[in-house]
Amino acid sequence: MWAFRSMFAFAIRSIHHRLTVVRVLRPAAAALVAALMLLAAVAPRASLAAQERPVPADRHIHAVVEDGNTGMPVAGAEAWVTWTDATGAQLRRGRSDRHGHLDFGQLPARVVTLRMRMLGYAPIERDVDLSVDDVLLKLRLDPVAMHLGEVAVTADSLVETLERVVAVSSLDRAALDARRGQTLGETIKQLPGVAVIQLGPSIAKPVIRGLNSQRVVVLNAGLRQEDQQWGTEHAPNLDSFDADAVTVVRGAGTVLYGADALGGVVRVDHAAVPDTGAIRGDIALNAFSNSRQGAVSVAVQGGGLRLPLIGRTGYRLRLSSRVAGNGAAPDYYLSNTGFRELNGSATLGIQRDWGRSELLVSHFGTELGVLRQAHAGNFDDLQRAMTTPPSDSAFSYGIGRPNQQVSHTTLRWRTTRDLADMSQLELVYGFQFNDRREFDNHGPLRFRNEPAFHLRLFTNSLDVRWKHAPWRGLVGTVGVSGVVQGNQTLGKGFLIPGFDLQQGAVYAQEEWGRGRWSLSSGARVDVISQTTIAYADAGINSPAGTRTWNGVAGSLGAAYRIAEGWDATLRLARAWRPPTVNERYAQGVHHGTAQYELGQATLAAERSMGVEAGVRFAGSRGSFDVAAFRNVIDDFIYLSPREPVLTLRGAFPAYGYAQSNALMRGVELAGAWYVTDWFTLQGNATVLRGTDRDRAQPLYDMPADRALVQARVNGQGARLGAWHIGLGSQLVRQQDGVPAGTIYTLPTDGYALLQADIGTSGLLVLGRPIDLSLSVSNALDTRYRDYLSRYRLFVDDAARDIVLRVRAPLW
Amino acid sequence: MIHTRPRRLFAGALALGTALTLGACGDSATGPGGEQELITRVTLTLTPTGGAPITSYIDDPDGAGPQPPSAQVGALTLVAGTSYTGSILFENRLVNPPENITEEVEAEDGEHRVFYTVTGTGATVLTLDQDGNGLPVGLAYTVTAGASVGTGTLRVVLCHYGDSPKVGSATTCTGDTDIDVTFSFSVAAP
Repeated sequence: MWAFRSMFAFAIRSIHHRLTVVRVLRPAAAALVAALMLLAAVAPRASLAAQERPVPADRHIHAVVEDGNTGMPVAGAEAWVTWTDATGAQLRRGRSDRHGHLDFGQLPARVVTLRMRMLGYAPIERDVDLSVDDVLLKLRLDPVAMHLGEVAVTADSLVETLERVVAVSSLDRAALDARRGQTLGETIKQLPGVAVIQLGPSIAKPVIRGLNSQRVVVLNAGLRQEDQQWGTEHAPNLDSFDADAVTVVRGAGTVLYGADALGGVVRVDHAAVPDTGAIRGDIALNAFSNSRQGAVSVAVQGGGLRLPLIGRTGYRLRLSSRVAGNGAAPDYYLSNTGFRELNGSATLGIQRDWGRSELLVSHFGTELGVLRQAHAGNFDDLQRAMTTPPSDSAFSYGIGRPNQQVSHTTLRWRTTRDLADMSQLELVYGFQFNDRREFDNHGPLRFRNEPAFHLRLFTNSLDVRWKHAPWRGLVGTVGVSGVVQGNQTLGKGFLIPGFDLQQGAVYAQEEWGRGRWSLSSGARVDVISQTTIAYADAGINSPAGTRTWNGVAGSLGAAYRIAEGWDATLRLARAWRPPTVNERYAQGVHHGTAQYELGQATLAAERSMGVEAGVRFAGSRGSFDVAAFRNVIDDFIYLSPREPVLTLRGAFPAYGYAQSNALMRGVELAGAWYVTDWFTLQGNATVLRGTDRDRAQPLYDMPADRALVQARVNGQGARLGAWHIGLGSQLVRQQDGVPAGTIYTLPTDGYALLQADIGTSGLLVLGRPIDLSLSVSNALDTRYRDYLSRYRLFVDDAARDIVLRVRAPLW
Repeated sequence: MIHTRPRRLFAGALALGTALTLGACGDSATGPGGEQELITRVTLTLTPTGGAPITSYIDDPDGAGPQPPSAQVGALTLVAGTSYTGSILFENRLVNPPENITEEVEAEDGEHRVFYTVTGTGATVLTLDQDGNGLPVGLAYTVTAGASVGTGTLRVVLCHYGDSPKVGSATTCTGDTDIDVTFSFSVAAP
């Protein structure tokens, strides 16, 4: 369930690289290597052994790159040479020319690591000994044609190395294929430090270190996802089949993506399009027993499209769909919780001597139901819904009121240009259009096909980044970013006003290493202007106005190598965000909870200052990672209960946005023990405490303490492929840290769930390699209600779910 | 392989990106939003046999807004021992002309019921109308004032049955509450 063996039969030792918890901190020595490893999931064992002897240098590597089958030269293969010396991690980048030639100069007289990737071929990694003389190499690339994306390098990973001192967990394609859930949130929810706010099977909102919504940036294919993410019942609007790798960054201070990621970042990378190779296709099928969901994704890609004026172009087309009916709790079906998704994307990419350019157009469309019981008419109805035992609802694929229809359309153009001095310039332009319609089951609107809330959000963004050449041991990125956003409020009801938003930012992130030390720092200055459009009718009076905020975010971190394989890190991070429009102007009853929300226009910006420390070990018999953090958030914006609002519909429990000083503390632990070369024990645990310091009480919506333990047996068979069997348990403690005095903060009990999976990658069927897995979650059909489930006041969480996942080449 | 000139392409990308970013400001002009779609007034009309009707209503001009409903307009003064034929009107008065929501309730009477609950001085409410399944609706009713003089309240609840079945014998709403409003009345000596 966690890691899934790929076709490469690496020993179990490399399992931890697939789902790892890479927390930092590699001394100067292997710093760059570590980052590349976690981003690209290439096993970097050899480089860990790199020596630390500075040597005057002018060695060369001359290589000829050939197709392993045909012997023809391969042009455009990307290569990196890495090593470490007294000034830190060093990197040289190159690319084979049209004759397949590749040359690196000014290399040290020592062992260096050479890596090469080319779409359509298996990646190569090898150590090259330059201690005696220059080296002449013939590199034969093995074509990997049958698997779509098998060797696909995430486009982002080539240029966006993360800071080495942040806490990161990542899932590569193989791990994703084995765990891909109904939604992105479900897929990542068992990573350390991560939880989800769940509304049945259809909505899962990622929570990192206790924070969610605007405080967690979702980066999809290099673009910040702008999809009305302020609403806790608004899940990320993206197709999880598009994801080739998912990286979760815990904690603030990743200045590349925005100042407002107080909780962290979820980065979803798509595979780069191939630039050579014939047309290939594959199909992925998922079936979920719980909601009787079927999901299918078909993708076709190739490298040989010839376009006028442009020439040879790589492409990928993907079409995917999901259809799910009512989810099931152990004793009953949850009424009106089905959903339907239809998504498509098209990507074109070119790779030339000067760099790479890629155009992505994608569309995500979903219609989902909201649990009927949770859509209470007024306070009395809510009380009754909470106290009435849930009745069984018939299974149905139908979606009735209340429901949501959401579509998200993205256009992204990304160009990277390799400059002569080993630096790189990158430009990303993005346009996003989010259309959200929420249909009510109350009052007159019930009779009409008109949405109660209809919001249309247009976002344009432009990022320009310069990744400069290594300079005196410094590697880093300098960039500017601009966002223009407009929101239309068109529904029959009012929830938030229309607004325009402009944002500009300048940022830099640098890393430096020497000896056992590696330092990392980043800084970012943002100016954000928010203009609301007046909204007035007999009932609502929301004023026009413009407010502008500016602020500085940044981080400073250090990693120290205690001994071979052992690292310690310390990091300070500062982040901030202005109040969002809903926090300032919300006025209305929230969909899915009979909860009246009132904004406060005068809210101040929220600012956090955090410190975190970690220790990490990675060795041949196991790996271990512990991180502890303390994050002080000034003017933390939250919903505070106030006197009920009276209307003709009766009374509603009301909440107003307020500010307080908050403190978040937590510890995250992850480890793996490679007991034998075929047996592994793994686990992780997260403990989190959020406190409202002004009121000396716990914060609302904090995930309960949790742990995951599992055992895995792996093997490799000629026809069977790389197989595994896993058995695990998710243990969640009771959430007793809740604020006093509102019905929404009911404590919830702890629970334990059993899960198991069996699967193989590369099973030969009719001569084709097929990935196949069968997993079961909540195997014992345990009744439970997670504290972060928004439906916990009404119904139990999901019952047993048996999931079948198949991926096969189309031809 | 055709080589695109990198500099030109890159400059083009930059220019196009900038143009699109700036150009999009036009898109983002924000619409004014729609009018509220609500019930903002509940009116009771009680007509004694051969007499003049008595009318009383309660408004909530901000609809779902945070302001509480206004005070009752028009006193319901009943005469002891008298029977009245009652009707009820649900309106959205935020639009012009006002929308009659009662008609929509009537059209789906199988999913609706109006409950009348009296506290205080005796008065009896009897529902007259039935839906297609023979279950009470409550848009037509009678009010009979008791013999004694005094004051009381009449709570009006418009209940919508989505999933849950309508139960004829129920005395409170077991579905979604669309309206929950309380009128006061008095009973005077004849």
